[in-house]
Amino acid sequence: MIQEAAASSQTMRRSESAEVVVEARNLSKVYRDFWGRSKKTALKPLDLDIRRGEIFGLLGPNGAGKTTTLKLLLGLIFPTSGEALVFGRPATDVSKNERIGYLPEESYLYKFLDAEETLDFYGRLFGMSPEERRRRAAALIEMVGLSRDRKRQLREYSKGMTRRIGVAQALINDPELVILDEPTSGLDPIGTREMKDLIIDLKSRGKTVIMCSHLLADVEDVCDRIAVLHQGELKELGRVEELLRVTGVTQIRATGLSPAATAELKAVLERHGAADIEIGNPRSTLEDLFLEVVRDTEARPGRRARRPAGASDATRTG
Amino acid sequence: MVLEEQIPQFTAWIGPALLRYAAAASISLLIAAILAWLVQAIANGPLAAGDRVYRGLLAGLADVSLPSPRRVWALARLAIQESLRRNVLVVLALFALIILFAGWFLDPASVDPGRLYIGFILSATNLLVCLVTLVLSVFSLPADIKSRTIQTVTTKPVRTSEIVLGRMLGFAAVGTCLLALMGLAGWAFVVRSVSHGHTLEAEDVFEATDGDGAPAGAEGRTSRDRGHRHRVILDAGGSGIAETTQGHRHQVSVSGTTATGEKTFAVGPAIGLLEARRPLRGTLRFLDRDGRPATKGISVGSEWAYRQYIEGGSAAAAIWTFEGVSPGDFSEGLPLEMTVRVFRTYKGDIEEGIHGTVQIRNPTSGLRSESLPIVAREFTIDSLLIPRRINTVLANGELQEVDLFDDLASDGRIEVWLQCLEPAQYYGVAQADFYLRAGDGSFALNYAKSCVGIWFCMLLVTALGVMFSTFLSGPVALLATIATLMIGQFREFIARLFESQVTGDATIVPGGGPIESLYRIVTQTSITMELDPTPAVSAMKLVDTILLAPMRIAAGIFPSLSSLGTSDFVAGGFDIPGDLLGAHACETLGYVLAFFVAGVFCLKAREVAS
Repeated sequence: MIQEAAASSQTMRRSESAEVVVEARNLSKVYRDFWGRSKKTALKPLDLDIRRGEIFGLLGPNGAGKTTTLKLLLGLIFPTSGEALVFGRPATDVSKNERIGYLPEESYLYKFLDAEETLDFYGRLFGMSPEERRRRAAALIEMVGLSRDRKRQLREYSKGMTRRIGVAQALINDPELVILDEPTSGLDPIGTREMKDLIIDLKSRGKTVIMCSHLLADVEDVCDRIAVLHQGELKELGRVEELLRVTGVTQIRATGLSPAATAELKAVLERHGAADIEIGNPRSTLEDLFLEVVRDTEARPGRRARRPAGASDATRTG
Repeated sequence: MVLEEQIPQFTAWIGPALLRYAAAASISLLIAAILAWLVQAIANGPLAAGDRVYRGLLAGLADVSLPSPRRVWALARLAIQESLRRNVLVVLALFALIILFAGWFLDPASVDPGRLYIGFILSATNLLVCLVTLVLSVFSLPADIKSRTIQTVTTKPVRTSEIVLGRMLGFAAVGTCLLALMGLAGWAFVVRSVSHGHTLEAEDVFEATDGDGAPAGAEGRTSRDRGHRHRVILDAGGSGIAETTQGHRHQVSVSGTTATGEKTFAVGPAIGLLEARRPLRGTLRFLDRDGRPATKGISVGSEWAYRQYIEGGSAAAAIWTFEGVSPGDFSEGLPLEMTVRVFRTYKGDIEEGIHGTVQIRNPTSGLRSESLPIVAREFTIDSLLIPRRINTVLANGELQEVDLFDDLASDGRIEVWLQCLEPAQYYGVAQADFYLRAGDGSFALNYAKSCVGIWFCMLLVTALGVMFSTFLSGPVALLATIATLMIGQFREFIARLFESQVTGDATIVPGGGPIESLYRIVTQTSITMELDPTPAVSAMKLVDTILLAPMRIAAGIFPSLSSLGTSDFVAGGFDIPGDLLGAHACETLGYVLAFFVAGVFCLKAREVAS
């Protein structure tokens, strides 16, 4: 039994290493002006492997080279040196795009088309049959919550709606690799939550996701592995939980503790020589609070939101 | 109509044309490859540059071959949607407005209203359709690149060739629809504007008598409609014709009698308007005033050497030789149609035409017919039916009736001799001015053929616009397209100018190249005056030659829109020859293909997302 498990984990590891979806070898990019003089080194030589089924985050401040990396992987720009392979093919080979979905930074879509026409157009580019296009477009519009606005031209859409239809077009071909550039930019907290859920859902369906963002919370919530870029250079690369684990500090969480039990716990800890003991109620995030309020308002329209449980009486609403 | 060059037979034309095309394509490809290598060599060194150019060439050729029809259609459809949402149909309203203005301001009383209306409507259609597709095609792709929408397209499995071809086809489809609608509306407008009738009242008809006072039918004049009226000649029975005015005539017949016993007349629809003549054309040679063969006629000082002149009252003659004349095609006789210009050295009676003769001659046996009198009236096509039975002049001066085809055109060849009878007056003719009317095509079909010519222009403009838009921004692409078309328009002039510059023969094109022209303008030196051969002038001429060389190369390969135009044929009432249409179709296809390939390579070499 143990032998079997070991064998299967070995196979898994081998298949994991064999299933590198994206490979960057010494990949670099220097932007030049018209006369060929170098203007900006956007990406210093980068080596990167992204494996099937993981959510990979590219992190960094503005101008760190995140979008440049994505564009190099997509073949939208050509590398100054090195090479990028996607599904084992050069990034400039268009046939790789059959299995890729890409959401650019600002959902660059045709403003004169409506949601249905947009998805129909992109579906045609994949050579999908009319029935398949219709089915897929309807499902995606439903998924991103634009059913009521599907006949409106995109020029009338708000930023969040444009983002949603952008996601829908990225998923039209049911891609194996989804590349998302700032997926949560322009979205309200609900949209952000839904986007993060969607990314996790994609992973659960075996897709590989590469996203870049400077919104750290988003990256932290969904990514398995991250790469931190700064000034075009790779500064950090690894699994999120490993990178964020604070060694030397122990955290205990519990519910239903009485004040006496808390004091006893503290005493036990002190007895064992623990220093900097901190016992109190954890803070929720503003995101959780906001989502709670919105859900409550939708459940009981016309009334002020009830504060979530655990809030002080002084601020409780009646 | 003016036909400066003979229309070659398609089968004879296509072979050498394909060879020239292949040569031009290879040279262009070679030049492009060398330029690409040079640019790459500066950045990456010569070896890496060679490798990149080679790989780029292979990738480009792979991209160009066999684009997916489905994706091309998707992109073409997008281009159509884009055009429609940009309210391209407004141009139809503009066209309607143009038609309205044409209806108000074009003069139906002009010498040749058919030519005026057809010429105007076809030009307006051509201009509008080409302008619309030009604007659509040059701004679309740069807008996509600027708004970065292209990124969502190129990250799908779409080849560059499909993006370029989809755009070209989409805008061409929009242009085709516009052209079809404008063509139909224009045709209806021309037909309705030009068609007319007259009435002939009994009080306008007078009995005519011959020289002996015997009754010889009747004469009269029709009512005045659309700015003109016709002189009517009737036979004793009361039927006849309303004579040619404004290039057309009407048939007149008796329609009945009134209660008082007077005849009433019916005037038929216009004959000779909106025609599509199918001419059998011949070759022209001249005899000088002493009857000796000459390569040219006399120049009367007209700068345009299209027409050559023959002197009146002398042995000078213009002789057309027609081949393939058979009784099967001309059972009634030879319908000779002619346009004869007149150059007068004295005014004479300006209302009267200049008299001359036409003779038919067998080129093999030398047998010639008697002289048939003609009167040259300017600006109209005169017709003369040469009958099957015709008198010939024997050596002793006697006349003998012979058969036209058996005796004068025995081997299918026949000569037509034109001579002017009045001393010190001149006839001016060109090869295309005399022809045998072998038949008639349908005017509607001919108009449609002319629209096909406009369609070729539209395709060329669209392809050129899309090609430039793959590597230039919208406004620059617009300028580049217009500049290319301008160079194409003046390609013959540029070729002659360059020849003049290189050979130093100022008679070909006087005035020199751009710098010399500027110098002449500033110093107010006439273009006919030779400049002193100082070192400065030599240097100026050298710079001009260097400037003109690339223009000369461009003029050799750029398309000329006006050479694709066939509206002259329709306006002049001639059927557009199939040979010409076929040649134009091939020419257009050749250019579109070249622009497509160039566009793909340019877009492929470009980082669309930088």
